[in-house]
Amino acid sequence: MSDLLPQFIQQLANGLTLGSIYALIAIGYTMVYGIIGMINFAHGEIYMIGAYIGLVTITAIGVTAGYPLPLVLGGALLVSVAVTGLYGFAVERVAYRPLRGGPRLVPLISAIGMSIFLQNYIQIGHGSRDLSVPALVSGAVEFKMAGSFFDITIPYSRVMIFGATLVLMVALTLFFAYSRMGRACRACSEDMRMANLLGIDTNRVISFTFILGAMLAAVGGVLIALAIGKLSPFIGFIAGIKAFTAAVLGGIGSIPGAMLGGILLGLVETFAAAYLPAEYKDIVAFALLIMILLFRPTGLLGKTNVEKV
Amino acid sequence: MKKISVVSMMIASALCSAVGAAHAETIKIAIAGPMSGPVAQYGDMVAAGALTAIEQINAAGGVDGKTFEAVMMDDACEPKQAVAIANKVVSQNIKYVIGHVCSGSAIPASDIYENEGVLMIAPSATAPQLTQGKKRSLIFRTIGRDDQQGPAAGKYIIEHAKPKLVAILHDKQSYGQGIATSVKQSIEKGNIPVAIFEGINVGDSDYSSVITKLKVLGVDFVYFGGYHPEMGLLLRQAREQGLKAVFMGPEGVGNQDVAAIAGAASEGMLVTLPADFSADPANASLNKAFTDKKRDPSGPFQLSAYTAVKVIGDSINATKSSDPNKVAQYMHSNHFSTPIGNIAFDAQGDLEAFKFVVYTWHKDATKTVAE
Repeated sequence: MSDLLPQFIQQLANGLTLGSIYALIAIGYTMVYGIIGMINFAHGEIYMIGAYIGLVTITAIGVTAGYPLPLVLGGALLVSVAVTGLYGFAVERVAYRPLRGGPRLVPLISAIGMSIFLQNYIQIGHGSRDLSVPALVSGAVEFKMAGSFFDITIPYSRVMIFGATLVLMVALTLFFAYSRMGRACRACSEDMRMANLLGIDTNRVISFTFILGAMLAAVGGVLIALAIGKLSPFIGFIAGIKAFTAAVLGGIGSIPGAMLGGILLGLVETFAAAYLPAEYKDIVAFALLIMILLFRPTGLLGKTNVEKV
Repeated sequence: MKKISVVSMMIASALCSAVGAAHAETIKIAIAGPMSGPVAQYGDMVAAGALTAIEQINAAGGVDGKTFEAVMMDDACEPKQAVAIANKVVSQNIKYVIGHVCSGSAIPASDIYENEGVLMIAPSATAPQLTQGKKRSLIFRTIGRDDQQGPAAGKYIIEHAKPKLVAILHDKQSYGQGIATSVKQSIEKGNIPVAIFEGINVGDSDYSSVITKLKVLGVDFVYFGGYHPEMGLLLRQAREQGLKAVFMGPEGVGNQDVAAIAGAASEGMLVTLPADFSADPANASLNKAFTDKKRDPSGPFQLSAYTAVKVIGDSINATKSSDPNKVAQYMHSNHFSTPIGNIAFDAQGDLEAFKFVVYTWHKDATKTVAE
């Protein structure tokens, strides 16, 4: 009986790490939505591209060359963030900017098209097979609780994701609250035309938002690929759907909301799989999503939008 | 006006006869399976076997004075796309299909082929529902069935692995769940307790909550019915959490990529595979035909696909007809000498006997016969 608590703690750790995977991707969705009010359905694919660029960089540096781990990891993150940022910029320029100001559905469809395009583009370039990602960060936090035989194991690669999500969330919140660009973003979010009249270069702000969103996705892509160890051109789709769900659950547009929504979704899925037959995992998770949205249509931390006259 | 129509009629009839002549020269064989997507490996294996057979038969002068022509059809292992592919095969007037590779796609596609007079030989689809109780004349397979593979796995678990507590997982698809059910039934007969029987989602990246559950239950043996991407992640995450259990899977997990995904964690995984006929000395020259074209003959489906084409070729030669109905009739009532042994088809179109062997998988993606 004394093993129940450690088991619970292990599942809690599983849920938190799965949740931070969702949260890390969800931040990108929520940020773009918060500023231009558009759901960027290609975000899942941007995340996938980030992971591929990370893997290519790691392969190019060479895992066996004996460089210190922070250098390899840092290099992969840096290259991936830079190149994926360019993708984010290009996607916005090509697929969204020309359609801005059109009916709301038009950019949405364009985003879905972009997502399919990017998936097929990577599939042609890298093949559709699963690629394996070398286990750069091995080992795990392991401990036993007093009077129990059950080891609690949390791999370092997952602790890293949790930490990265937390740091990025705090950094972004501070950035939007205090920096000049952050203020410009908030101004655009409130009223795009007014911000423009007051001398803010709104096109620049929007480009910046997409680049930043893509960079966050790249960080997520590299770290998650290292933790999971497998990469295929299709990972973006499911990850995107789950992260989008997390963003809506937490209140789309709110950065702490994305974190909360991601962690909540991860925990619910994990505990449902742990204490019910695993088949019920998604049923429980999405039933909960519907319940929450019935009572709080704007999500847990979402603002109620007051229609301005 | 009249002149133009006469000329155009002449051109049209010339075109028609040209097309007609081309038809008389070749017999098209569609190779249907995943040429793209996460399980494209299996499509490649089947294509390698079928193409080698087609090339060899054509090089030897073809069948009944005609040559075979391969037409590649990609169903990405998706049932919906498989139906579209089946309709495409019918509309292109192709009369022979090697495939579909995945059971989930082969089952819906086979209904269309049977109705439209297309002869289909599945070299890799092992789900019993493809043929079970359907009384069809044009659907065959050159591989065993899950209800032969399941008991083979079950027998090994009872007699050799002798675990204390077993967990059975599956991917909720026709192939994976079917074989998992069959394994469950056969090991329960051997009085080995099954702790849980649960499905996991294809495409998820994290199964650690299920792994923790297995660790809590204290299982020492895990059977997974499904394909290698999920098996790879299960192995890897089980090792991360320190779950000490032997993993076993059907032939869908037995390819090189499982070692790539799981790394060292794939060492010791057990797989039921069709006997490795490429190791048979009688097939040495055939192996060379594969390697000459830079194709690997040693996977589970290459020689079954080769056999499928060879059986069609032999039957066309024997009946002097490329009518699928006559060919099917001949196939039902004769024995064939093939690289996978001397085979015969029963009334359902299944092989009368097929042997699965248990292999131990190693982290360098090689395999040895398990004892």
